[in-house]
Amino acid sequence: MTATARHAALVAAACAALGAAVALQLARDRWYPRSDIQAAEILYVRSPAAMQRLALDHDSLLADVYWIRAVQYYGGNRLAPQLRKHHYELLYPMLDITTSLDPHFNIAYRFGAIFLSEEYPGGPGRSDQAIALLRKGLAARPDKWQYYLDAGFVNYFHLHDYRAAADWFSRGARLPNAPNWMPPLAAATLAKGNDRASSRFLWRQLLDSDQAWLRNAATRALQQLDALDQMDRLEEIVRRYPPPMGQPHSWIGLIRRGVLAGLPVDPTRTPYDIDPETGRVALSPSSSLNPMPFDTARQAR
Amino acid sequence: MPPVIRIDELTKDYKVGFWRSRPYRALDRLSLEIAEGEVFGFLGPNGAGKTTTLKLLMQLIFPTRGGAEILGRPLGDVQARQRIGFLPENPSFYDYLTAEELLNYFGQLFGYAPAERGRRVAALLDRVGIGAERRLQLRKFSKGMIQRVGIAQALLNDPEVIFLDEPMSGLDPLGRRDVRNLILELRDQGRTVFFSSHILADAEALCSRVAVVANGRLAAAGRLSEILAFQVRGWDLVMDTIRPDVLERVRPVVRRATEISAGRYSLEVPLEQPPDRLLAELVAEGATLVSLTPIRDTLEDFFVRRVAEAGAGARAEEAARARD
Amino acid sequence: MHAIRSVAVNVFKESVRDRVPYNLVLFAVLLISSSYLLGQLTAGQDVKIVKDLGLSATAVFGLFIAVFIGIGLVSKEVERRSIYPLLAKPVSRPQFIAGKYAGLVLTLAVNVAVMTIALYVVLGYMSWMEPAAVRASWDAPGPDPRLLKAIALIFLELMLVTAIALFFSTFSGPLLSAALTLGLYIVGQFNADLKNFDRVVNSKTAIWLARGAYHVLPDLSAFDVKTQVVHGLPVSSGYMLATTGYAAVYIAALLLGAVAIFSRRDFK
Repeated sequence: MTATARHAALVAAACAALGAAVALQLARDRWYPRSDIQAAEILYVRSPAAMQRLALDHDSLLADVYWIRAVQYYGGNRLAPQLRKHHYELLYPMLDITTSLDPHFNIAYRFGAIFLSEEYPGGPGRSDQAIALLRKGLAARPDKWQYYLDAGFVNYFHLHDYRAAADWFSRGARLPNAPNWMPPLAAATLAKGNDRASSRFLWRQLLDSDQAWLRNAATRALQQLDALDQMDRLEEIVRRYPPPMGQPHSWIGLIRRGVLAGLPVDPTRTPYDIDPETGRVALSPSSSLNPMPFDTARQAR
Repeated sequence: MPPVIRIDELTKDYKVGFWRSRPYRALDRLSLEIAEGEVFGFLGPNGAGKTTTLKLLMQLIFPTRGGAEILGRPLGDVQARQRIGFLPENPSFYDYLTAEELLNYFGQLFGYAPAERGRRVAALLDRVGIGAERRLQLRKFSKGMIQRVGIAQALLNDPEVIFLDEPMSGLDPLGRRDVRNLILELRDQGRTVFFSSHILADAEALCSRVAVVANGRLAAAGRLSEILAFQVRGWDLVMDTIRPDVLERVRPVVRRATEISAGRYSLEVPLEQPPDRLLAELVAEGATLVSLTPIRDTLEDFFVRRVAEAGAGARAEEAARARD
Repeated sequence: MHAIRSVAVNVFKESVRDRVPYNLVLFAVLLISSSYLLGQLTAGQDVKIVKDLGLSATAVFGLFIAVFIGIGLVSKEVERRSIYPLLAKPVSRPQFIAGKYAGLVLTLAVNVAVMTIALYVVLGYMSWMEPAAVRASWDAPGPDPRLLKAIALIFLELMLVTAIALFFSTFSGPLLSAALTLGLYIVGQFNADLKNFDRVVNSKTAIWLARGAYHVLPDLSAFDVKTQVVHGLPVSSGYMLATTGYAAVYIAALLLGAVAIFSRRDFK
């Protein structure tokens, strides 16, 4: 064998060995599947203070790493297959570390609060942690009216504590850089509690968010509010045109009598349901607008 | 005329040992004067204190006691270095530079303008026999080539005084001849050369005066021919095709006859017996001359003797000190 | 002056021939690939993260160059004995130290400058790719000139670390110098903690020692304004000036110390 051939053989052998390593790893992963969730589930260091020390002067970058982990962890659990239990225990510690490493990490407070307050199974449903995170944000950046808005939001939609929500809104409104719609928002929330107009107002603020998924959430919430209004109007019609005696409530009956032009549909084009006995209008179980938000006006009836 | 180099009671102690350091005297009260235009040989076996002396003169180490002047300036005078050249023992340079770049760098340190630098560098590399290789990085150079680059850098500033530490080491016979010629050239230009060597023949071929150091002390100084220890003790005559009967005839006049190979003998002739008559006699008998060399002490022989004396001296000194 | 400049240029040449510029390629690859990948993972924080990454990488790459070349600046010359012929030239030992230092600072300056340009190019491109509405939501613009403040302080910190490495390099070998320099770098990051030592310990002596250490050891955390700058928060000129002054004085102290030690050193 010539020296060149021997060299080529050596290089080929090295490549082959590396190829074998890749193949073996692939095979082993197939034989002994590794749960991918396990990797994300380890919070290497739990103490934010300790993490800060370990970061030397790269805490900002490490905050990014923890932010990415938090986003992946939340997204991964949210999208986890139904049969597996969704769990979000590490979400708050991860966000806590992120914001301790970088106290100015705006998005981590805002999205973090939204992630945390989301009801199970879409999120941990921990409004208390969401508010704690926002309070931490306000300690670092007291000029951020957005955090007051977000805290009010959590109180409004998740805790249904309208007094507290109004309180957060009005505190935010007092900041010099707050937008001019904040004071009326506070006033409306305080005056009417859970009223659809103020809800709609709140969501509209998010409609021009820079985040696509937040815009989608706002669109969906506004459609739900529209659906609530539509259901109220439909029930009004049902009451005004009751069916002949002995006959059940039905859309077909109302259409035949010329009251309705066609099947009433919700904003997602799914027909509404009508209770044949009481005439109560409800969202079809197949509608993608489910589950509907808590609504005092309809709950009262 | 004041001496070009004046060394005065130069002494260097090194600390040996880490915790309980005790001093070790590498150089002991060396005093020497070297005049302008001299080629001065600084001789001694390895470890005698030659390199220590040169490092002291170049301020690479600092004297424990004593001092020296070069060109009338005390040691440590940076400006005096403008007129001095130095070749360290087994020199080592930046291996990422080419020979040309190295000399250019050193030329900058002397403050030469680019054109002047280019001229000097090219001329010196030619002079030490480095041709197209001057564009190669020094990491590709052999030991002998590095030695040549070292000599070139020592001469870059046209120095009045040149210090060479073992300039012949690492050179092949051709290189040694080149260096010898170079030193003689420098002498002819009136420069002062101070070089160290552990090989007597180098000094013999070049030096007007020598100093011999052993064990950190000056053992002898003066003209080589005047130093008793190095005077010729006899002759070594090597002849070929000596017939056995002829050999028997000359045996009484030689001190020793050693057979090298069939018919070839090395004959040791005492000093009192001039070798020319014996040579003539042997040639007449059909023998042929191979070589004739004078026999003398090597530096090593000299050193071994000095060590014995110095040891005795030191013991006597110590005993004297103990009595005080 | 020409002696210092010549020594400095030679250091620069050595670093280039030792393939130091390769780290610039690595830096560019890191930035470009991460700016591409991050868009998918981070819920719209890619510009902030690329800034963080760019600034941190500039600091880390610079740190490696400062430490690993810095520790060899003097000790390697002594070990290889290349300093023997050099010091026989009209170069004083203080000039030698100054030149070595200037050379590595020059290397770092070129390095940091190229990295800065690369960072701005990537940020400019990312910013150009985003619609104006998205850009409006950022804390700070993509290619934000304020980043230069953070980079300036990173460079000052690197100059200080270089001086530390050079200082150790004048009297100890490369391995010990590396350990000491990195150790001091880490201590320098934690330095601010020493100030508040009295909250943890009761002993008067311990508190005094900690206080003394706080003032004497280099305060490297002061050079980190990356977080502020990335979020577009102000860093006052006064702070910049005071920190620059601190670096200048500390570097001067280290270089004078290095000269003091080196000027009396024997090359055995």
